[in-house]
Amino acid sequence: MRANVTVILSILCIGAAMAQEENTTNYGSLTGAYGEREGSASVEFFHNWKLGKSRKFLIGIGGRFTSYFGSDHYFSSAPASLASDDTKSDSLLLPSSNIFALNAAINLAYRITDKFDVGFDIDAIGLSFGGKQDGFYLNGNMGQATMASPTSFNVLLIGNNDRGTLNSEFYIRYFFKENLGIKVAYQYLFTEYTTDTAVQQVPEANDRFRHKAQMVSLGITKVF
Amino acid sequence: MFMQVRSTLLVLAVLASCNNTDDATPATPVNNNFDVSSATLLRSGMLMGSGSYTVTGTASVYESNGSRVLLLDPFASSNGPDLKVYLSTTDNAASFVNLGDLKSTTGKQVYSIPSTVDITQMKFVLIWCQQFSVRFGKAETS
Repeated sequence: MRANVTVILSILCIGAAMAQEENTTNYGSLTGAYGEREGSASVEFFHNWKLGKSRKFLIGIGGRFTSYFGSDHYFSSAPASLASDDTKSDSLLLPSSNIFALNAAINLAYRITDKFDVGFDIDAIGLSFGGKQDGFYLNGNMGQATMASPTSFNVLLIGNNDRGTLNSEFYIRYFFKENLGIKVAYQYLFTEYTTDTAVQQVPEANDRFRHKAQMVSLGITKVF
Repeated sequence: MFMQVRSTLLVLAVLASCNNTDDATPATPVNNNFDVSSATLLRSGMLMGSGSYTVTGTASVYESNGSRVLLLDPFASSNGPDLKVYLSTTDNAASFVNLGDLKSTTGKQVYSIPSTVDITQMKFVLIWCQQFSVRFGKAETS
């Protein structure tokens, strides 16, 4: 974890150093995403540095507030040691799920033309909150009712070591005005719940379950 | 306001989904072979529907040749997606064992009960829409 944070900070520092002319731009976006029995709404703000001779590369840091809601989704065992092996992964079925997440985030983009840019943004670290939900823990042909709450702490790590609720988007944006654009994106949103007790006991105790939502999103961006 | 609208939409989505016939349970009548005259009846109960769903018939637990089975005969149920047959400690699936997909919405059907299941604790038979966590019907056996 510490190594990853160091890498991220290094990238940002390099970006900042390269932006010696203080050639920066700020983006704020409102985005809605839709998937099968699920959706999300998010508000984000990025302070971006323009890089390169042509200043077409953008790297930015900022924050994002995401509200996720879904129904009747299976959440799988979240710890990397369980998630990487289907035979070790159990399920948490939540009839209703609703998570609010506030995360620091990173943005990378390339300005194709004056009108278009493409990019990728991803949450890095933050907090989640939301109500406790009734659900069912499923282990093979056995099951039991349980309760679960959003995992409080979010952090982006490598592979399945991520924790909590983390939003990310691959997007293309069209600026129909100099300071206004619309964004179409593929949103990949990790959501995670923690059960009241470690309902999974085999092969190891576990109370964290993750759902990976894949959605299409549409947003509007304001350039500040 | 937002929460109310969201909740309403989710409820409507669930109701619509549980009545969705695209991935419904087979409706062709089944007639599993099981001779009750050579088996010992352990428990039984009458099936009844829940809410707007219709489930009728009798659920019986038999022991035969050292194995236990659940027999649904006669049996008829409303259709729905992802219908399972549960044995449960309560009528709301507090702790349960999934005996498998409901084979058909009508006809005589037999389900194996794992040897580890305590049928005195798992005394409820549930016809359960797993994907949407909706009970279609239940029987309390005794």
